[in-house]
Amino acid sequence: MNIPAIRAERLLLTLGRGPGAVEILRGIDLVVPVGQTVALLGPSGSGKSSLMAVLSGLERASGGMLQVAGQDFATHDGGGLDEDALARARRGRIGIVLQAFHLLPTMTAQENVAVALELAGRADPFEVAAAELAAVGLEHRLTHYPAQLSGGEQQRVAIARALSTRPDLIFADEPTGNLDSATGQAVIDQLFARREAAGATLFLITHDPVLAQRCERILELADGQILADTLR
Amino acid sequence: MNQTWSRWGMAAALARRDFSWRFRGLRLLVICLFLGSGALAAINTLEGAIRQQLAGQGQEILGGDIEFSRYARPAQADELAAMAALGQVSSGMRLQAIAVAGDRTAPVQLKSVDARWPLYGQFRARQLIAGVADSNGAGGAVTAGEVTAGAPAPMTAWAGQGALDRLGVQPGDSVKIGNATVLVAGVIAQEPDRLSEGFALGPPVIVSDQTLAATGLVQFGSMAVAKYRIALPDGANLQVIGDTFQEQFASQGWSVRTRDRAAPGADRLLESLGQFLSLVGLAALIIAGIGIAGAVASWLDSRRGTMATLKVLGADSTDVLRIHALQIAAATVVGVSAGLLAGMLVVPLLARLLADLLPVSGVLVFDIGALARAGVFALLVAFVFSAPALIASRTVTAMALLRARVSPMRHLWRRALLPVGLGLAGIVVLTLLTAHDPLLAAGFLGSTAIVLALLALIGVAVRMLASSAYGHTIPLAMRMSMGALGRPGAPTVALVTALGFGLSAFAAIAVIQTGIDAYVAGTVPERAPDYFVLDLPRENAAAFAQVVESRAPGTQIRTAPALRGAVLAYGPEDDMVRVADLDEIPEGAWALRGERGLTYSATLPPGNRITQGRWWPQDYTGEALVSIDDELAVALELEIGDMITIGLLGVERTARIASFRTIEWDDFGFNHALIFSPGSIENAPHNLAASLILRGEVDRAGLLGALVRQFPGSAVIEIGPVLGQARALLGNVGAAVLAAASVTVLAGLAVLLGAIAAARARETYDTIVLRVLGASRGQILSALAVRYLILAALLSAIALALGAGVGWYVMTGMFDLPFRPDWLVVAAVLTAGALTVVMAAVVASLPVLRARPAQALRDL
Repeated sequence: MNIPAIRAERLLLTLGRGPGAVEILRGIDLVVPVGQTVALLGPSGSGKSSLMAVLSGLERASGGMLQVAGQDFATHDGGGLDEDALARARRGRIGIVLQAFHLLPTMTAQENVAVALELAGRADPFEVAAAELAAVGLEHRLTHYPAQLSGGEQQRVAIARALSTRPDLIFADEPTGNLDSATGQAVIDQLFARREAAGATLFLITHDPVLAQRCERILELADGQILADTLR
Repeated sequence: MNQTWSRWGMAAALARRDFSWRFRGLRLLVICLFLGSGALAAINTLEGAIRQQLAGQGQEILGGDIEFSRYARPAQADELAAMAALGQVSSGMRLQAIAVAGDRTAPVQLKSVDARWPLYGQFRARQLIAGVADSNGAGGAVTAGEVTAGAPAPMTAWAGQGALDRLGVQPGDSVKIGNATVLVAGVIAQEPDRLSEGFALGPPVIVSDQTLAATGLVQFGSMAVAKYRIALPDGANLQVIGDTFQEQFASQGWSVRTRDRAAPGADRLLESLGQFLSLVGLAALIIAGIGIAGAVASWLDSRRGTMATLKVLGADSTDVLRIHALQIAAATVVGVSAGLLAGMLVVPLLARLLADLLPVSGVLVFDIGALARAGVFALLVAFVFSAPALIASRTVTAMALLRARVSPMRHLWRRALLPVGLGLAGIVVLTLLTAHDPLLAAGFLGSTAIVLALLALIGVAVRMLASSAYGHTIPLAMRMSMGALGRPGAPTVALVTALGFGLSAFAAIAVIQTGIDAYVAGTVPERAPDYFVLDLPRENAAAFAQVVESRAPGTQIRTAPALRGAVLAYGPEDDMVRVADLDEIPEGAWALRGERGLTYSATLPPGNRITQGRWWPQDYTGEALVSIDDELAVALELEIGDMITIGLLGVERTARIASFRTIEWDDFGFNHALIFSPGSIENAPHNLAASLILRGEVDRAGLLGALVRQFPGSAVIEIGPVLGQARALLGNVGAAVLAAASVTVLAGLAVLLGAIAAARARETYDTIVLRVLGASRGQILSALAVRYLILAALLSAIALALGAGVGWYVMTGMFDLPFRPDWLVVAAVLTAGALTVVMAAVVASLPVLRARPAQALRDL
């Protein structure tokens, strides 16, 4: 039996307590097979980023069951992995690309990519990092610091970093949100190309329906619930 | 285990790569550790250097390997023979005397030496007279030259420059000492055993034994000390030799001093000063600790993004903690190393301040032990104060990247308890292990903890008050100030604690110093006599009174028999304790050490009050009785009716205890721990001591001249210059203490500046918004000034109260002195401190004012 990349049942996320509590995710049921590309669409405040955060292990679910690559992130009885165990589960297996790049300002492009490999305990992190950067066309920017790179270059470094460990799952949250359209297009092309090469599952959050069309499956989220699930 | 090491290795690699070697965000940590460890290193090194010098130069300072001394009586033939059997002996006398030249007089310490002096070290005198003067002091031409050993020729003297200045004479001139006229043959340039001679009431004048005999000043029973220094063969056991000699000549009043305790006065001073300065250094380090806590917290706060990014990439909270702990450790090592280096470099400057008091040269000293102690203290303080914030950083989640942060990092007190507790225990243990007086050190640590807790509580109260101080009637500047002090995350508590502690230390020092100064300068002359007269023969008492009355009518004269003897035994009549059998002198029983001043009196002397028992009738002639200082009685657990045996000029005398007294030590009259009934010790050879309190305008020079002429064998000492000398010495000690205390205030200021720097982003935002709304720079500046004025005024008031409390305890509890600080000076010191705080705060905030709204808004 093939184990899906993501399996979620009645997934809940509630922030805050008491009368001020806000229900962000309200019972998400989802199965994503290995290697599928999924686009998550929805208006602002619909819970897209929160869903990605829970699925990628950045946030613990408040309820429901979640299995990622066969590992129990959350179980129906309230069990699951704590913050540190989730970090270890992410290590080397999940790559994340965020809208605001989030490179470490004190490190060069090569060092930024190498960090993920070092944390995953991989050998030759710098050689691998250099190869990954070359794969996104940044072989001439290895020793540049983030402040010396353009927005598009920074996001390509982030993509190289996310894919450097050959993850099973890639999460990308509005990866072109801070870029102009031409740069954004180039970055997306590289993201898809690198994913293709790695054979990884891609979970892409976007506002852009055209971009969503590049994925095999489109989920539409509203008010913390999946409204539509279209397989193309 | 391997996994752990490899994670540490990975953390070290990331920490190194991520670390800013310009210490961005950690500069306050580096500065605080630099100041704290520097102060402690300087103090430890200085103390170590002095100790080493005392130990290394013990022979030179003492003038021998062992010294036997006693009052009034030179050694007898058998005693001399016993000394000579031990090694080469150099002997001499020491006494207070008055030197006269024309109508000028000067109190001097007359020191007779023999041809073998000094047994160790080098003596040097300048401007020697060639040839030997005759007994009239004539003859000899001044030539340049030096002598390095031996006694001066008969009827010549080598004098300290101070004596020459006071008398207005040059080498080649003559001065009169006692009955002898002595030619000043040279000026003392270096006297190797000066420090072991103790506090003298005047500069030294060195003469030969023959010259001393010619002065006629040394009589049986006079207040002269006979000293015998012996050079022992290598490997001699000092303790055994001293004990054997004392046993052989028990009750003969011999005091023993060995080269390892060559200058007990300096030892005691060093002990108390060293201890006090060490505690001040520790206080500086603790304030630095508050700065470290703030610095680490705000640095880690600024690193949330990096932490969250690392977590997104798979780092767990332990990885993140390791990376940041290693970076803090690197900054700590740099700050502490720089501090230790600076502390070592500043020692020669401090040494110069204390050069008159302690044997310390102005050279650089590398004392690895002293530096290690300071370093370990600094590392422990850095660990204790940075651990809570570091542990709190575990609460930063990966989600911090996606969600705006709304509150400061959550403290994990329970997790921090063990490391912080262990670190604190380390500090306490190290303090107690390295303290000379662990009880005092423990008291200091306890009080520090209480004061810090109190200040933290006050800080919390200030923040709460400020946050609730709303109202439309409050001016804008004030409202903004209150907002800045009361808003969530405001560093008010840390500021109040650190600055409050620093200013309190400053206030306490000011209170103590002005208190001591007032005591010495103001209080003493009210009650102290103008002159002390030593060695006044009993038969001259009436003539003396007559001379004084004729020259200074109305002068109050007090005389008391002056004898010296040692307590040999005490306790119940049938079960007396022999002092010689004691392994250790009981605490507080200082009167058992060596010979003490003794007297007898028919009436209770002024300034004394009977606390138990009864004073004897004025015409009492029965069994020998004695009245004892009640503190000594408590220390020796004496009861009324017990006996005391003393050794007086080689004869044992026993008396029954009739009463206990309290003695007002601040009375500069005659205070004796033991006062005997008339008839009990009266028949021992002795002279009188007298004190004079002048009334109205008196020709002092005339009175002094007349007394010296009429009673050449007596030493007349003017108290004023002596007090001046003491004040100058205290001033130097005060300067050293103040220098150490300044570090506490500097550390407090560093905390302030760090807090301002940490809040700069928020301040800039506020300022920009206000500027957009039309506020002028002047208005914003005044709001800043008002905030820090409020804080400084409040802290000054707190510091005044705390400093006064500490000062009161030190003055009345530790020094047993009245509490009379100069409040004006204390207020001035505090005002200066508060203004420095305001100035520093405003200057540090100027970059915020310079922010241009348009540019800043783009950056926000």
